[in-house]
Amino acid sequence: MPKFEAAGVRLYAISYDDKRALREFAEKQSIPFPLLSDVKSEVIRRYGILNDAIDKSDAFLFGIPFPGAYVTDEAGKVVSRFFHQSYKKRDSPEVLLDAALGRIEIDEAAPRATGGESGVRIEAAVHGGRGTIRQGVVRQLVVSFELEPGLHLYTDPVPEGLTATQVRVSGPPGFVTADPILPATKTLRHEGLGVDLETWEGRFEIVVPFHADGRLASETRPLDTETASVEVEVRYQACNEVECLLPRAETLRLEVPLDVVDVPKLGMHNGHGQREGLYDAMPHMRRLFLRKARENPVGILRFAWKNFRMEREARRRLRDQG
Amino acid sequence: MIERDEHGFDAPAPLGHPGRRGLPPGHSTGPAIGERLPDFVLPDAFGREIDFHRDRGEAKAVVVFFRSAVW
Repeated sequence: MPKFEAAGVRLYAISYDDKRALREFAEKQSIPFPLLSDVKSEVIRRYGILNDAIDKSDAFLFGIPFPGAYVTDEAGKVVSRFFHQSYKKRDSPEVLLDAALGRIEIDEAAPRATGGESGVRIEAAVHGGRGTIRQGVVRQLVVSFELEPGLHLYTDPVPEGLTATQVRVSGPPGFVTADPILPATKTLRHEGLGVDLETWEGRFEIVVPFHADGRLASETRPLDTETASVEVEVRYQACNEVECLLPRAETLRLEVPLDVVDVPKLGMHNGHGQREGLYDAMPHMRRLFLRKARENPVGILRFAWKNFRMEREARRRLRDQG
Repeated sequence: MIERDEHGFDAPAPLGHPGRRGLPPGHSTGPAIGERLPDFVLPDAFGREIDFHRDRGEAKAVVVFFRSAVW
């Protein structure tokens, strides 16, 4: 989080936890930004993001938000929002910071590979989480191009005979990519063909968001491998005002480390996904349970019973699968 | 307890557990782009009352809503 401070961007995190839980969490996990306690879920409700897929009778959980983030400008106006269908999917802090700054700042230490020739320099780097992969966390494969003055690349659509720039990222099963985010183009008139073409020149970046699902980076079982081999295929054709170079296709390869989570300490109640087992959540769990029991005594009993039953059934299912 | 959901994610809670329910399609995701983020005052972990817009002053801000630090 020093990155946020250095950039002058303030970070706040809100949950339905009480102050004592947040205090211990902040201290044990060395969290330097404010963790705000919305125990009655008032702000969560006012924002319209109360998780109402959770029934009131699921008293223990009732009150949590759909997780997500807002990024504001200096005037406090929302410039970006980040919400996903799955609560397991969340954006890397670096992606949130980029949204605030309007530019991409890649870590010096991020895994990277370089390529390109004849006036075109290409670098592919993993952006976010110090260049690691973790289940559900959206990082980015940033492909930076640097063209010599006078050169440009095309983007689709192009007439036959020209090659549009293309970036394709692939990895092992469970490595999931989203559509590339393309930078703004400049329109150039191709006099020979009599058409307007969309081009890029100078320095620009094509960003491919990606995340891992349970096949690659489960957080409930030890990892199969320590790294993932990721391939970045780049196709392009550099042209100047007069002529074009031959189309190029090259593949950059990166070994991207998987983020180790503390699997032996796992359990719904042990703060799963924490890197260190430093934080004992049990006393806070008990307090949360009592607080919710005061709010909804019948609900908390029903939830406890439901939870017990569901865990028993799941154990049975897993046993039946062998 | 390891069961993979329809998005391909693993979690310690059993499948179908209310804790694993996601954002229903079309559901509100709160304040829209261009809107001023609604005011709020909430205590931080040390009991200080934080008035969001006053606290950030003229700075850009990121406000994250998360599920829980407890479970």
